[in-house]
Amino acid sequence: MLLPVFTLKLRHKISPRMVAIGRYDGTHPCLAAATQAGKVFIHNPHTRGQHFSTSRVFQSPLESDVSLLNINQAVSCLTAGVLNPELGYDALLVGTQTNLLAYDVYNNSDLFYREIADGANAIVLGTLGDISSPLAIIGGNCALQGFDQEGNDLFWTVTGDNVHSLALCDFDGDGKKELLVGSEDFDIRVFKEDEIVAEMTETEIITSLCPMYGSRFGYALSNGTVGVYDKTARYWRIKSKNHAICIHAFDLNSDGVNELITGWSNGKVDARSDRTGEVIFKDNFSSAVAGVVEGDYRMDGHIQLICCSVDGEIRGYLPGTAEMRGNLMDTSAEQDLIRELSQKKQNLLMELRNYEQNAKAESSGPLNETDGQRGIIPANTTLRTSLSVNLGNETQAAHAELCISTSNDTIIRAVLIFAEGIFVGESHVVHPSIHNLSSSIRIPITPPKDIPVDLHLKMFVGYRSSTQFHVFELTRQLPRFSMYALTSPDTASEPISYVNFTIAERPQRVAMWLKQNFLFPEDTNIQSAPFQVCFTSLRTGCHLFIKIKLSGEITLNTDDIDLAGDIIQSMASSFAIEELQVEADFPVYFEELRKVLIKVDEYHSVHQKLSADMADNSNLIRSLLVRAEDARLMRDMRTMKNRYMELYDLNKDLVNGYKIRCNNHTELLGNLKAVNQAIQRAGHLREGK
Amino acid sequence: MDLVLNRTDYLQVGVTSQKTMKLLPASKHKATQKVVIGDHDGVVMCFGMKKGEAVAVFKTLPGQKIARLQLGGVLNIPQERIFIAAGSEIRGFTKRGKQFLSFETNLTESIKAMHISGSDLFLSASYIYNHYCDCKDQHYYLCGDKINDVICLPMERLPRIVPILACQDRVLRVLQGSDVMYEIEVPGPPTVLALHNGNGGDSGEDLLFGTSDGKLGLIQITTSKPVHKWEIRNEKKRGGILCIDSFDIVGDGVKDLLVGRDDGMVEVYSFDNPNEPTVRFDQTLSESVTSLQGGCVGKDGYDEIVVSTYSGWITGLTTEPIHKESGPGEELKINQEMQNKISSLRSELEHLQYKVLQERENYQQCSQSSKAKSTVPSFSINDKFTLNKDDASYSLILEVQTAIDNVLIQSDVPIDLLDVDKNSAVVSFSSCDSEANDNFLLATYRCQANTTRLELKIRSIEGQYGILQAYVTPRIQPKTCQVCQYHIKPLSLHQRTHFIDHDRPMNTLTLTGQFSFAEVHSWVVFCLPEVPEKPPAEECVTFYFQNTFLDTQLESIYRKGEGVFKSDNISTISILKDVLSKEATKRKINLNITYEINEVSVKHTLKLIHPKLEYQLLLAKKVQLIDALKELQVHEGNMDFLTPEYRSILEEADHLQEEYKKQPAHLERLYGMITDLFIDKFKFKGTNVKSKVPLLLEILDSYDQNTLIAFFDAA
Repeated sequence: MLLPVFTLKLRHKISPRMVAIGRYDGTHPCLAAATQAGKVFIHNPHTRGQHFSTSRVFQSPLESDVSLLNINQAVSCLTAGVLNPELGYDALLVGTQTNLLAYDVYNNSDLFYREIADGANAIVLGTLGDISSPLAIIGGNCALQGFDQEGNDLFWTVTGDNVHSLALCDFDGDGKKELLVGSEDFDIRVFKEDEIVAEMTETEIITSLCPMYGSRFGYALSNGTVGVYDKTARYWRIKSKNHAICIHAFDLNSDGVNELITGWSNGKVDARSDRTGEVIFKDNFSSAVAGVVEGDYRMDGHIQLICCSVDGEIRGYLPGTAEMRGNLMDTSAEQDLIRELSQKKQNLLMELRNYEQNAKAESSGPLNETDGQRGIIPANTTLRTSLSVNLGNETQAAHAELCISTSNDTIIRAVLIFAEGIFVGESHVVHPSIHNLSSSIRIPITPPKDIPVDLHLKMFVGYRSSTQFHVFELTRQLPRFSMYALTSPDTASEPISYVNFTIAERPQRVAMWLKQNFLFPEDTNIQSAPFQVCFTSLRTGCHLFIKIKLSGEITLNTDDIDLAGDIIQSMASSFAIEELQVEADFPVYFEELRKVLIKVDEYHSVHQKLSADMADNSNLIRSLLVRAEDARLMRDMRTMKNRYMELYDLNKDLVNGYKIRCNNHTELLGNLKAVNQAIQRAGHLREGK
Repeated sequence: MDLVLNRTDYLQVGVTSQKTMKLLPASKHKATQKVVIGDHDGVVMCFGMKKGEAVAVFKTLPGQKIARLQLGGVLNIPQERIFIAAGSEIRGFTKRGKQFLSFETNLTESIKAMHISGSDLFLSASYIYNHYCDCKDQHYYLCGDKINDVICLPMERLPRIVPILACQDRVLRVLQGSDVMYEIEVPGPPTVLALHNGNGGDSGEDLLFGTSDGKLGLIQITTSKPVHKWEIRNEKKRGGILCIDSFDIVGDGVKDLLVGRDDGMVEVYSFDNPNEPTVRFDQTLSESVTSLQGGCVGKDGYDEIVVSTYSGWITGLTTEPIHKESGPGEELKINQEMQNKISSLRSELEHLQYKVLQERENYQQCSQSSKAKSTVPSFSINDKFTLNKDDASYSLILEVQTAIDNVLIQSDVPIDLLDVDKNSAVVSFSSCDSEANDNFLLATYRCQANTTRLELKIRSIEGQYGILQAYVTPRIQPKTCQVCQYHIKPLSLHQRTHFIDHDRPMNTLTLTGQFSFAEVHSWVVFCLPEVPEKPPAEECVTFYFQNTFLDTQLESIYRKGEGVFKSDNISTISILKDVLSKEATKRKINLNITYEINEVSVKHTLKLIHPKLEYQLLLAKKVQLIDALKELQVHEGNMDFLTPEYRSILEEADHLQEEYKKQPAHLERLYGMITDLFIDKFKFKGTNVKSKVPLLLEILDSYDQNTLIAFFDAA
């Protein structure tokens, strides 16, 4: 059993995920963490009595070995590490929604302070690709920016949505680090400098990423999933009802391989094997875990795993020694094995008994009423499932439809669909009322995004009076473009926007791709090239034309630039195309983009004007305050009162002004996001460099 | 001294019921004891441990489900004869496994509880109690509610025979012959009875009881009246008690109290002070503990607690240390034992797997033929659906003998599913779009591997009634699921009680008409929880209820052709009126409903609500302040400048937050009930005041008792 080697209880709260360890003076590791009220505290247990005495840093009134750094804004990300290799000690980096501060704790000075329009949601420090100096890379509103030690902007690129997590990892094994970006559109993207080399679609917002070793990395989602990827392939994942606050790679059992350490919202910390996801160690805090970091906090030459809870409890664990043989938990492995084996035996015995019973029931004659109650059904019952497009009616919007029917008079009591990303939770249930039970069920499905989804179906089959049901399990794949209905080409007007490209594939292969990725009515057959097909989107009603010429030239006509991008990416991956030149024109979209850019300019100018106003007002405040205080000293209470009244009014104005500024800022952010996304979308239309 | 007990698993049998495992007395001094256990397959098995392996002494053939197992024999010598109750039959075995008794009791129901003392046999089915002496019928008693357990004070120590019944309606009934001598009210539905110290304590009259809501107590049953000695409330919200034993596991010469609960908790209480048991040890197993006994089974010289669980595991919690301080050779030997065990299990498994594969093929083949049938494998579900008094919510516990794969919860009434910390299953709420399908709640629980027990918490709203269904799918092949149904009754938050305050202002609802006693009883069963399904034998019955949320009360007196319901809460009466008239119309019974409304009762109910509401409002306000105050504290370093009020908030911060977290939506529920009260008050007057509800909510937002009462009066 692995026990903590030290436990501390700080009287400061710790904001989740805002914890970092750094040697700010070059030798002593100190813990820095964001706390309440826009402050960052630095816990320095090694050098007592050394106090900071400037405005930014002051000593905590609660504890002697904690100093506080005032940020005056909610901290949105925090890290520590070597930013300038010449300095020989670590810098503390603190990001907020508008700024990034690189701070030299030892000298109590700013290394740089940069305004960041896109906000800083996540930060990572290290070297990226061929860029020689260490970069502080921040991810914000669709944008990624990297700064060197002087605050120079050496790296900039955009990604699909708001960034929630970043990590540096040698993804392709070339000895240089790639940047992993987890964003709000559920994608993990891998950037080799500013080129996207891989993209993995997950099922929820990616909240944390961490490199394990080699090309392996761990990830956590906002729905309680944690797992490990090796390159683009997922090794394992588990889902809990709690949320993973932070993940960290650490070799806790001293086997030379890092384990994935997860800190959970219910206070649990567990270490899982990188290969199987099996728990090798766990411990519990009384409140949610805020951060997991590593460092030689006792300065005895051994690296400890350090876990912090939001209530300020800090525990350090030393990796297990060789005698423990990797057995970090309280139970003996043999006992567990025996328990598991005998559970298996019990299950097998039960299964055998079930078959015996079945054989007995078979000999008892034909099916009757009481059999139905006990859930006995004909043995040759089969279930048919089919997917189709339903164009909807007045009461119901158009949707994709899953139809399930049994082969005889048995009824379907309920259907459970487990699928990720297309329902509110992870499952969807259809449970008809007792009066509407029948042998077939139609289930409308409206996937919000164009992604292929595996539908894991569990169907409860029996009779009306049954209290036990057979469970039929089945997996169907919902094609990527299931929300598009085939329509006849003449009725629909052709969109003017288009993408044109040529691929070296036989048209039959393209037809196959179409069949795999769209829902066609059963009797359609696609004639040989050249041909064209037309689809209508069930979500927006827009049209999509796909024309294929004998030469392999394909034209997509659609006003939806996202859709065009998705189709090209899907074709490229299924035909294994590495480079594809395209010619595209989206006049409608570009017109909108132009408007957005104009708006961005407008908002910028408004922003500047408001800032100027604010500066004016602050001068006014100063003078009013001085005059009011003067009046007080002169005991001229009336004037003082008037001055304060004026000040009050001015304050109200300022508050109003601030509200306008806020609105302006959110609008601006929204538009900037649209611009960033436009760049990303345009990039999606092609493949390769 | 800390008590350290290590877990070792011995054996797994079939699913077990409460009190079906015993340890046979040791034959020689300090030798290990044999374990005897009966399961749902009807198999009685006796085994001992030899070198870490279970060696069977005997094993009977399968039969009817075994409900109880007890040891008996001639009084004052070691009790070595094994008695089991299966169906309506009692069977007796010697310790060698020879059957010497088979006694068909001719009871119409199957036996639920049994106690044996010498040649006296005390049995109870659901409602019937019977006393036999030498298998001859002696006494008989028909109980008003379900009997959960039966026991008799030690006959060898007392000159009289005192059987005691533990009944579901929170009462222990002390009998004399065929009559009730007196009744003792206990704080929850008693589930298990045991003699203190195994012999009734110093007086021979001390009786321990455990309740289904986890409370534990000791009562002395004297000839004239009960004397309550002590009671342990279930502060930690642990499970209901299933078994109790007395054994000196600590080794201090005083017998300790061993308790097993239905959430897998095993506890040891010791008596440093005779009237104050304190917890010395607790450990959770993952499933219900059905029986437990202290003794010595695994290794000579080491005492242990032997426990049997719902799915049939027999486990020892032993004082024997795992890592023994001995030579390296011995260590190796222990491992060898383990290895042998594992390899034998492995080979057994391989054999089984092969057999299963064959059978599976057969099964597949038979699905080709059109005449064949496919049965559903049966599995048993141990479920419990109870109202918690503390937070007025229901808890639903589902336990299956094998791991659960998923559970679908469906309800046709609006209810809230609350999160339970203990369960690790991933919950997902599904949209219930189509009204036509009567779904108000559809949720799936996908369980983690090895979950055999799932606990859910449900909050219901009074007046809205229907059925909650749970479709349980375990991980067995072929895949199957079973439905469990639970009724959410119209007055779901009411609980049976035995005393009410008669001085409160009451509203009365009177039913008259051509209905039988059974009919009116069925209506009461339909409306209220904790009423026995079976109509009582009396001509006229009275039940008292208490609203667990508001503490208002309800009195129901009914007989053939007449029913009178009295409550100080108008809403209760209103709900009853609606439900009863609907039910009567459904059965085409002509019903006369008259009601008498007492205006004072509304004010009285509001006054009852007042302290609760005020407390909640204050709590909410305090909790809101905590973060801001903490920030001030960080900034200023000390809190001397704060008013004492704020300082006390800061000091109690953790406690307050915990309290607040414990009762989610408590305020909303109170608001809802006040609104109902408002609407119901005027409904009886024949006016519809729904349009005034927003005004009422506004008043509640800035709550003041007098304004609220004035508003109720004025509107």
